[in-house]
Amino acid sequence: MTEYWPWWLGALGLGGVSILYLLLIGRLLGVSGSWAKVVAWKENRDQLEAAEALVEDTEAMENALMAETLAEFGEDAIRELQAESATNEAAEPTATASLDDLESTTPWTAHLVFLLSMFVGAFLVAWFTGQFELRLDLSATHSRIFGSLWEVWLALLVGGMMVGFGTQMAGGCTSGHGLSGCARLLPASLLATAVFMASAVFLSLLMEVMIR
Amino acid sequence: MNVRRVKQHLAYGLVGLIFGGVLTRIGFADYDELHKMFIFADLRMLYVFAGSVALTMIVYVILNRRIPRQHKIIQPGTVPGSMLFGFGWAITGACPSLVFVQLGMGALPALITGVGIFIGVWLYRKVHGRFFGWDTGTCGV
Repeated sequence: MTEYWPWWLGALGLGGVSILYLLLIGRLLGVSGSWAKVVAWKENRDQLEAAEALVEDTEAMENALMAETLAEFGEDAIRELQAESATNEAAEPTATASLDDLESTTPWTAHLVFLLSMFVGAFLVAWFTGQFELRLDLSATHSRIFGSLWEVWLALLVGGMMVGFGTQMAGGCTSGHGLSGCARLLPASLLATAVFMASAVFLSLLMEVMIR
Repeated sequence: MNVRRVKQHLAYGLVGLIFGGVLTRIGFADYDELHKMFIFADLRMLYVFAGSVALTMIVYVILNRRIPRQHKIIQPGTVPGSMLFGFGWAITGACPSLVFVQLGMGALPALITGVGIFIGVWLYRKVHGRFFGWDTGTCGV
């Protein structure tokens, strides 16, 4: 059995991942957000298609208008128009679809890649460090608490639903609230983290008492 | 699919790979380790968590202006949702990322947990749209 990392190495690794996520992707780590995007993949796809269509439309429309104006009034008018619209845009940004909108919508497939590559990364590391162990239960302690295989599986299904429902309801999970949010001292994240840690501790202590 | 999109997918994939590997070496996905943390028998992983928050905080302060705005607010679902998640975490040993790490380490029943999470997320979206009107913030719906 390979030893796990000491706490300081783990902290460097986990903190490093949240920073890498920010630097490479430009957003803050939040895994329940990725789940939400993947589960609602249809909505995300439609949203993306609409944004793409709008961007293409805007460009096509501008080109057509420009050609028309050129034909009608000549080049001087265009220059005047461009100068005018430049000052207008500086004064108040207009709410048209731009490439920014399109790019700020991350496709759900990228989130799916993120989730699945977590599995691959865990598998590779577990395999090469000798921590990989194919099993039908979760662990010795888990089986001691929940009993037979069927009871373990039922607990996991119900517990999983609580995790999925709860993280969406709370607007974040261990990574989004616990790591990204707490690091910015957001009140909502501090509250959420305190509550989910306390709840997990409470139930774990209760389970420990009950099996004794 | 253009070059930008491909790069975006590769970036998500690379961070995911490293994230999964790191969580494996910390032992976060090991139910025994997690349970020991929750009953305060071994505080190692609590220190890991606190340390990584501190490290992230320092880097956020350094990067300051380049941190994207987050829309995380205290809303009616914050407390009950977090309670539900905490109980679920204690039962399954899985948060939304750890379920993939458990599976990667060879715990096949994590598939059941994953199905449960999928159902839970899907169900919340339905329930939220039907009964709750409030704003849940970025990570949520």
